[in-house]
Amino acid sequence: MTMNVKEIKKDFPILDREINGCPLVYLDNAATSQKPRQVLDAIVDYYSNHNANVHRGIHTLSEEATQMYEGARKVVADFINARYSEEVIFTKGTTESINRVAVSWGLQNLKKGDVILLTDFEHHSNLIPWQEEAKIIGAKIEFLEADENGEISLEQVKSKMHNKVKLVSIPHVSNVLGTILPVKEICKIAHSCGALVHVDGAQAIPHMEVNVQNLGCDFYSFSAHKMLGPMGIGVLWGRKELLEKLEPYEYGGGMVEEVDYKKATWTELPIKLEAGTPNVEGAVGLAAAIKYLQEIGMSEVRKHEVELNRYTLEKLNSIEGLKIIGPKEAEKRTGLVSFTIEKLHAHDIAAVLNGMGIAVRSGHHCSMPIHKKLNISATVRASWYIYNTKEDIDKLVEGIEKAKQILS
Amino acid sequence: MADLYQEKLMDLYRNPHNKGKIKSPSVSVSKQNPMCGDEITLQLEVEDGVVKDAKFDGSACSVSIISSSVLTDYLIGKTLEKVKKLTQKDLLKLINLNLSTSRVACATLVFAALQEALKRYDES
Repeated sequence: MTMNVKEIKKDFPILDREINGCPLVYLDNAATSQKPRQVLDAIVDYYSNHNANVHRGIHTLSEEATQMYEGARKVVADFINARYSEEVIFTKGTTESINRVAVSWGLQNLKKGDVILLTDFEHHSNLIPWQEEAKIIGAKIEFLEADENGEISLEQVKSKMHNKVKLVSIPHVSNVLGTILPVKEICKIAHSCGALVHVDGAQAIPHMEVNVQNLGCDFYSFSAHKMLGPMGIGVLWGRKELLEKLEPYEYGGGMVEEVDYKKATWTELPIKLEAGTPNVEGAVGLAAAIKYLQEIGMSEVRKHEVELNRYTLEKLNSIEGLKIIGPKEAEKRTGLVSFTIEKLHAHDIAAVLNGMGIAVRSGHHCSMPIHKKLNISATVRASWYIYNTKEDIDKLVEGIEKAKQILS
Repeated sequence: MADLYQEKLMDLYRNPHNKGKIKSPSVSVSKQNPMCGDEITLQLEVEDGVVKDAKFDGSACSVSIISSSVLTDYLIGKTLEKVKKLTQKDLLKLINLNLSTSRVACATLVFAALQEALKRYDES
């Protein structure tokens, strides 16, 4: 199916809204995407017709809810080409997924003096859990550094690997630079040096085909809400043999095999790692989002995005005083561009744009260190998705020109 | 309440009052806005319980700069006793801007610096 953006737009009720008297132009998709009617309907259908607690009832509704929840797990597993459904652990989002790797895998497997290798442009959620872990264990954090084009060369990765590096934790796509990292090649290098690889996939999975087996990583984390799904649900995928060895992250109902007054034993994957009543509504919504994306086709999603990248980069580059952060090439990015404009503050630009109904993000996008390193206090980030058009980008450019006029 | 990006206010943004440094301040405090990394430094010169001079510096957004300009204007010549009574709400009234919730933090960055400055001055 070729993408028909006009038709797609009709599926998103929120895109009919007016903001400050202007039609909404939503360009903050890297923060969260909007949700199509199909996802909203799936959630309403779940609560209207099937709601019950999962994994424990004999009654019909409980059976249905369990089937929907486990069915969603299968949809996710197929989407990322996981070998087994039980490799998919539902979490509340990427942040929890990464914290789980840090706590459950890290505390069990890292020792004093071990090194965790990150990039110097991490989202705080793939930095702070490791900082805290390093404090507890006495491990060290080292960094791969983005070059002038916002990329990381494989030569650099090779040069930063040594026998103390036990885990490489990197974003698949940078939320500030937009850069797509060569994860498959990085995994090969890391594995040849005996290190495992965790991938923060939050900014990648909405935009491109992700095949965890083909990437060769050991853990992959992502959220539903950036890929048309609801907030409050995400996934930690891990290789089965690794997940099997993990101690539970939380303890409580559902995850047990046998309990007496003094001790308990754990049930099998995936429930072992999902204590308590799970977010069934979220899983059902995520599955609906995946089905929606699959109907369009991830290669079509990517094609549309690269076309908009090319158009945006060209337009933005012609604005005087505007500086783009990250790769110059449209193909090296997902659908986001962070930029600064000489002498203008990002919040002021965003506020002027908001006055015209245009939603962008301004600030440090939960990545303070790279902003400090680049010696900028804040950037404006515009990010697009399947429902955005070249007309949206034209409005953005018009808004930036207006902001320049008002502010300088 | 005024709209933010009107000409009169933009003039104040471009040419703020009391921007710069005091030669020998009685107290100097820098505060960062975690939302954007903006930093404002507020300096006070206090003599006999009166704010003789107040200046601010740093690179920040228009709201932060307008707010700092208005606050320092207000401070100069006031007794510490009076200054201590100024609330965040009072400052927002003084700057009289129609601010969205997220921008209130920009406007009150300098107020946070003032509170810290008053505390440090008392302790010194």
